[in-house]
Amino acid sequence: MQNPSATPPEALAPLTRRRFLQSASALTFAIGSAGLVTVSRAGASETTQEDAGTEITAWVRIDTDDRVHLVFPSTEMGQGSSTALPLILAEELDADWDKVEIDQLDRDDRSFGNPIFGNILYTAGSTAVYGYFDSLRIAGAQARRILMRAAARSWDVPVAEVTTEPGAVLHEASARRMSFGEIAALPIDDLSVPEVTEADLKPASSFRLIGSDLPRRDIPAKSTGRETYAIDVQVPDMLFAAVLRAPVEGVSAAGIEDSESLAVPGVLRVLTLPEGIAVVAERLEAALAGKDRLQVDWTGATGVLASDSEATLSDYSAALKNPTAERAVWSETGDADRAIAAADRIVEAEYLSDYAYHAQIEPMAAVASVDPDGLGAEVWVGTQTQTWTTRTITETLGTTADRVRLHAMTMGGSFGRRTALQQEYVSDALLISKEMGRPVKLIWTREDDVKNGRLRPAAAQRLRAGLTADGALSGWEHRVATPSVIAYFNALRWEQVRPKDIVSMRGSESQFYGFADMRAEHVLTGRHARLAPWRGIGASYTSFAAEAFMDELALEARSNPIDFRMALLASNPRGQRLLKRVAEMADWSRPRDQTALGVSFAGYGDSMAAGIAEIALERESGIITVQRFWTAVDAGLIVSPDNALAQIEGGIVFGLSSSLKERITISGGEVEQSNYYDYEILRANEVPEIEIHLERSEARPTGIGEVGTPMVAAAVANAFHALTGKRLRHLPFIPDRVQAALA
Amino acid sequence: MIRLNVNDEEIETDAEPDTALLWVLREHLGLTGTKFGCGAGMCGACTVHIDGVPSFSCLTSIDSLEGAKVTTIEGLSPDGDHPLQRAWIAEQVPQCGYCQSGQIMRAAALLEENDSPERAEILDYMSPNLCRCGTYNRIVKAVQRAAREV
Repeated sequence: MQNPSATPPEALAPLTRRRFLQSASALTFAIGSAGLVTVSRAGASETTQEDAGTEITAWVRIDTDDRVHLVFPSTEMGQGSSTALPLILAEELDADWDKVEIDQLDRDDRSFGNPIFGNILYTAGSTAVYGYFDSLRIAGAQARRILMRAAARSWDVPVAEVTTEPGAVLHEASARRMSFGEIAALPIDDLSVPEVTEADLKPASSFRLIGSDLPRRDIPAKSTGRETYAIDVQVPDMLFAAVLRAPVEGVSAAGIEDSESLAVPGVLRVLTLPEGIAVVAERLEAALAGKDRLQVDWTGATGVLASDSEATLSDYSAALKNPTAERAVWSETGDADRAIAAADRIVEAEYLSDYAYHAQIEPMAAVASVDPDGLGAEVWVGTQTQTWTTRTITETLGTTADRVRLHAMTMGGSFGRRTALQQEYVSDALLISKEMGRPVKLIWTREDDVKNGRLRPAAAQRLRAGLTADGALSGWEHRVATPSVIAYFNALRWEQVRPKDIVSMRGSESQFYGFADMRAEHVLTGRHARLAPWRGIGASYTSFAAEAFMDELALEARSNPIDFRMALLASNPRGQRLLKRVAEMADWSRPRDQTALGVSFAGYGDSMAAGIAEIALERESGIITVQRFWTAVDAGLIVSPDNALAQIEGGIVFGLSSSLKERITISGGEVEQSNYYDYEILRANEVPEIEIHLERSEARPTGIGEVGTPMVAAAVANAFHALTGKRLRHLPFIPDRVQAALA
Repeated sequence: MIRLNVNDEEIETDAEPDTALLWVLREHLGLTGTKFGCGAGMCGACTVHIDGVPSFSCLTSIDSLEGAKVTTIEGLSPDGDHPLQRAWIAEQVPQCGYCQSGQIMRAAALLEENDSPERAEILDYMSPNLCRCGTYNRIVKAVQRAAREV
């Protein structure tokens, strides 16, 4: 994507109708969820836009010099959809990819929001490709037809006789050719939007861009240090701010001693914010030094938010058995209770998982420049949602969206971190800028980022299932005691979906197995930490429990873990293929000497993954080493195969890291960890060789950003059992727990 | 005033002597390719070369740099075309990209020491540098590709 500081403002700014009409010759297209909405061109006397006050996003713009600008509606955090989404439209448009330029959508323009999330601008849940797939294709196909129609008219030939090659319309009979840019310069009188149905779209066999390994557009800048993240932004006259936030949610400052802070050369002010104390300085190092010297007397934390994570987890465990605890059925088929009661044997096990932190390497940062009247602002920030960031700005300043100039910056990782309805790193930067009358860069330190993290919740889970006399499954019950994540991080969304919380519960539906009688139930426990979606959301722990339990069941049924799952996948041939494939890849039946294999079959949403981990164990220290990991993945049609492999591999590494090491503990309401030395993530010398088979499919795409993560923990736990005969039922599998299991 | 040599340019800075090199590079000189990740030498996002040695710029105060040569990602190659940078692009290593300047700087030092490193040698050498996106295996491929091309 373009570096915003190097791009003329008009290139990224939304087009008002007036500017739209006055801009240099270009053909522009607006898109909605059903495809193209309007077509306009410079100099046209009319557009189909009715409301002159409406700001129109030129989602597609074809310049007379043949450049095709495509606006990217999601945001980029490393997942690669800033290349993949424009590529889908370019495929149907038959654009010359080398002429395509990609611009970031920097506004809350819901005319082309994410349909999976009710058309808000929201990049999460591995949804961008499949959420936008149909509308991008249809829009691209419509735009292509408009170009063909215009060229045909100018040549005075029937439109049925013209065709396209990348970047041009052809009339083969007369050997004429007109580039898209030349067409954009024509006086086009017919700007109507043609009907296009799915039947008019390219068959997969004709894809030129989809399914090919075109390089990601963002990679050169990221290989040369030239990519600009929010933390890198510099604007003239900018101040720096560091914020000391309350150590425990909900407490406030009873007394502030700031004289030492103000004595630091370059420190200008100490400001009290709604939930913290800001030190503002001419230089970043002064702001940080001033923050270190603040002495704040925080009033004591009370009630549920002053809890300890160990007690929280045992409360959640108790809630599993408490019939009066608040519950919501997440997924149900048949009659699980009856099937389990009728079984020959009942198997039951409980699984625990700790809080986890995103650990994205770019800490929270924002640059804000509030207008002199305090009612408008320019803001540079990484965000997974232009919608909620815009809302944070308008709510903070008491203003309207037309006064917001947002720059949705490429993110240094996010994994769910920047999704919240209210974003305090944005509002703090605004409040400081407004007070100081100058632009401000707000930077969180790593310690700020850990202590004020938005965590994956801790969870206690109980699995219960019946087995018939011949070892077949008879009823499956999955109960998850954990708070609602949505209720905390987006109260507006919770009003719409309550009591079904996909963030807390995803994965527990075990949809790939087609259980005849199953129930997944959410025990809605009290919240004792600040929460957010986290890569894989609920599936990162529900699939751990379900797939570790599946191994326990297989053993109880005296079946091989692969055969047992194969039988349950009888109605899912695609799933069976993956399991068979991964068993071949890992040479599953070959006995190992010092290592052992464990299998898991999980996925994310409709994307399926079968995985096998090979582990070794250092018994004395309790350290598990994962030496190899194999996976076979079916995510439907793959838009960018090489990037899909990278995402799946990254998802597996994320899953391994969290399975083996990552754990947040809370004492007296305060996160006990501070930095990467006590919240360790997987390092290079701990990463296994990873082999991925990606199924070739023409089925609908289903997402690849998270599919690698959920299967991992159970594969490791199951390998541990194969190696030692012991079960690991508490995530992560840190050395203490490994040693305890072995004792 | 403290004098620094950054990417072969002599620079004077009025930053306090104990200021971390990282802040001087990023906020005083605008060399933002070097990243802040942890401030504790735990993530390697701030890795630069000091006299050719990969170093955490977050833990290096500028008053220790008298007479030293500092090289950042911006100075690694004139046009961003160091063999490692070409290999990073060829292997499509970066995802979010935030750690990659530090990764490339450390890998460049590795190749100075060892022109054909094995997988395990690369992983060991690179382990001070975290990548949350999980690009480690691609980093191995890219380092080996660059090693072949040097």
